[in-house]
Amino acid sequence: MNDEQKRQSSGLTKASSSQGKEGWGMENLPFPEGVAYITTRWDLCIGCGACEVACSMAHYGVINRELSRIRIYRYLLPLPKSVQNVCSQCPERERECQKACPIDPPVIHYDEEVGHMVVDEDRCTGSACGQCREACPADVPRFYPPNHDFAMVCDLCEKEGERRPQCVEICPTQALEFMTPTFPQHLERIHPDEKAKCLGKRLYPLPKDRVIRLPEEIWGGE
Amino acid sequence: MDQMGFRLLEVDLTSQKTRVLDVTEEMRTFVGGRSLGAKILWDRVPPKTDPLSGDNVVYVGLGPITGLLGSVTNISAKSPLTMLRGQSNLNGHFGMELIYAGYNAGILITGKSEKPVYLYIKDDQVEIRDASHLWGKSGLESQQILRKNLKKEIDDQNFRFMVISPAAENLVRNADVCHDFYHHAARLGMGTVLGSKKLKAIAVKGSKSPNYRHPDKVFELIRRVFHEARLYKAQHRRWGHSVSMSRRYHSTTEGVKNKQLGWDPMCDLFNPVLLEQQYKLWSDSCHGCLVGCKVPYFRREPPLGPHVGELRHDNAGGWSANAMIAGYELQTYLCSYVDHLGLDSEDVSGVVTWMMECYEKGLVTKEDLDGINLTWGNLEAICALLKKIAYREGIGNILADGLKIAPGKIGKGTERYAMTHKGVAISSYEPRGSLSDALELAGTPVGELHGGRGTPERIMYDSLTTCSFLRRTLSKIFGSAGGWGVPMLNAACGWDLTLEDWDKLTLRAATMERCYSMREGYVPERDDVLPKRFFKETIYSKYGEPRILKREEFLEERRRVYKSYGLQPNGTPSPDFLQELGLEFTIPMLEKSLEREKES
Repeated sequence: MNDEQKRQSSGLTKASSSQGKEGWGMENLPFPEGVAYITTRWDLCIGCGACEVACSMAHYGVINRELSRIRIYRYLLPLPKSVQNVCSQCPERERECQKACPIDPPVIHYDEEVGHMVVDEDRCTGSACGQCREACPADVPRFYPPNHDFAMVCDLCEKEGERRPQCVEICPTQALEFMTPTFPQHLERIHPDEKAKCLGKRLYPLPKDRVIRLPEEIWGGE
Repeated sequence: MDQMGFRLLEVDLTSQKTRVLDVTEEMRTFVGGRSLGAKILWDRVPPKTDPLSGDNVVYVGLGPITGLLGSVTNISAKSPLTMLRGQSNLNGHFGMELIYAGYNAGILITGKSEKPVYLYIKDDQVEIRDASHLWGKSGLESQQILRKNLKKEIDDQNFRFMVISPAAENLVRNADVCHDFYHHAARLGMGTVLGSKKLKAIAVKGSKSPNYRHPDKVFELIRRVFHEARLYKAQHRRWGHSVSMSRRYHSTTEGVKNKQLGWDPMCDLFNPVLLEQQYKLWSDSCHGCLVGCKVPYFRREPPLGPHVGELRHDNAGGWSANAMIAGYELQTYLCSYVDHLGLDSEDVSGVVTWMMECYEKGLVTKEDLDGINLTWGNLEAICALLKKIAYREGIGNILADGLKIAPGKIGKGTERYAMTHKGVAISSYEPRGSLSDALELAGTPVGELHGGRGTPERIMYDSLTTCSFLRRTLSKIFGSAGGWGVPMLNAACGWDLTLEDWDKLTLRAATMERCYSMREGYVPERDDVLPKRFFKETIYSKYGEPRILKREEFLEERRRVYKSYGLQPNGTPSPDFLQELGLEFTIPMLEKSLEREKES
């Protein structure tokens, strides 16, 4: 069988394709106005890391997850499970990073005009300080000392006033959504370790280092 | 043009020394992964080496585009199961992490350690550390311990591990290498070789830039796949990869009762809809892949619960109806247990079903089996036997040697019921249902690798290393495998390949693997065959249609397949062909080896 025959017998030639920008239609939904953030659905995250690639491409034109502002953490619950971690553009009184910044005015702050957190890179003292990261309950601000030792946080891929998050566009499972908050968005600011713990509870009563009740526990024997 | 450089980390366990080699030229010629692995074995492992000696090497192979669309880590070593070329794939995230650590051509492990060790890699910091606290622990337990220790050490969550389990430590010949619990490089005893080297684990964490040459072009290709492939692969995200079994049972291409039957009502118990709605937790993918075909299950209810695992065609096909397991209720437990022990599910299921048939026919008795009543579908008995195999106790000590060695040791006419190809079990596939399946399986120069994993196209995917489950989808989007591979390689590495170069690389990859196996005693004409049962016993499909292979037709089609691989009618590469592919260095050795085999 050659490749063409194989494709035909597998029925793939009959499958409809989603060429062009239409896709599922998800990307045609109108983007939110005003305060908005990226919400993460941990249960839908498959851990492919395409969001990290899209982020580092959009901001620095390279493929390097260390330069991504959204990060995927991977756990063994004992099942492998990935969860996302990204800035939730907290409301003012919950903005711990901004409060913690030792520089006046804060290097890391929310910009009402562009509608997202902003870091003034020329004033940021980098990972040597790192107080914003420490203050954030989810460890969101990131530093990449080799060539980007400033706090990196999500800017919703805003360019000239237009916000179009690339991670949301590429996510194959719609595990990331760009939306207006339906509840105070800082409630999504949960440390990835905690997220993993929550999902791990679905596996109760399985211990973390075991996948199974051993046969001798079920049927006896040595 | 500015081309990407490739770095290979070489670790000598005997002298406990490590160094980094520049293999840029080799990668350009052999692409990487499975193909480069065969070349490394040719160069580094002397002919007729005992696979469990310190002279064998393990190549943890990467390709130039590992992790850009699926992240495959291809592990190569001489196989202790077949004594030929061994290789197996590990998916997940290990490969990409190694690239982030700066070793984009993988790791080469040589020599043998005296005491258990593990390899610690954090960017440029490479250490061989004591692993006596991990020895004897299951794959998952070891990973959790390492995770905890290493997190304390540097406060970093994302170390990735590759570990072996007790079966590999005990040198069971079909032991696997495990990553993240359900990613296994299971075939051909790659774990066993690591076990013989006393290398318990590799822990890796990287924070470097992969430094692709044209990231914009790479990203454009990735984005195109993500957008266009969504519809094609949605079924695998929903049901996982065990979904193909149900289709195969209905086309008589999946084994039933150690290949005695073509269909049994039990087959219908393996209904993917039930698996999804009753047991599925979520979907999970490997690095850079949009599919998420890992669909783990969780069973809470006692007495078998709680347990977790992941069913695939690979680890479930050889059990299921092939061992007359009555549905998911029992099947999920069995697959979790095999993972816990660290055995190759596909191969060990072939060993167990072989014993089941021999027990049914009275060729082995309960006493031979140390008192185990090994009837069809008997979960308790299977688990007891598996434990004996993994710990090499009693009868398990013989069965742990796999289907190349064990049938001869047990004798008494049991040999004819061993469904094996070059010493590896044929456990999930049923060749009588499809001649093309039968040929692809028989023609694999390394032994049954889960069906058609020996075709040049598949070998190329394993070399790239892109997940070959995406091959049909990629061909659909880009017109052909090269339509995807050429622009991707050029964009990532700064190469200037053409489609003709691609074809040559593909044939070179496939032929190098064949050459290495031939040097170790493989004679294509003699060995590319299937057990007699497939030519002598007719089975019937669910709808009563007879299925059997006809020898003449099989042999004729085999010649055609050889030709399509660029080989001579007897399955060997001609000297001219080798010259054309730049593999002329193999000619003298191959001639010697063919002569030697003729004499014996």
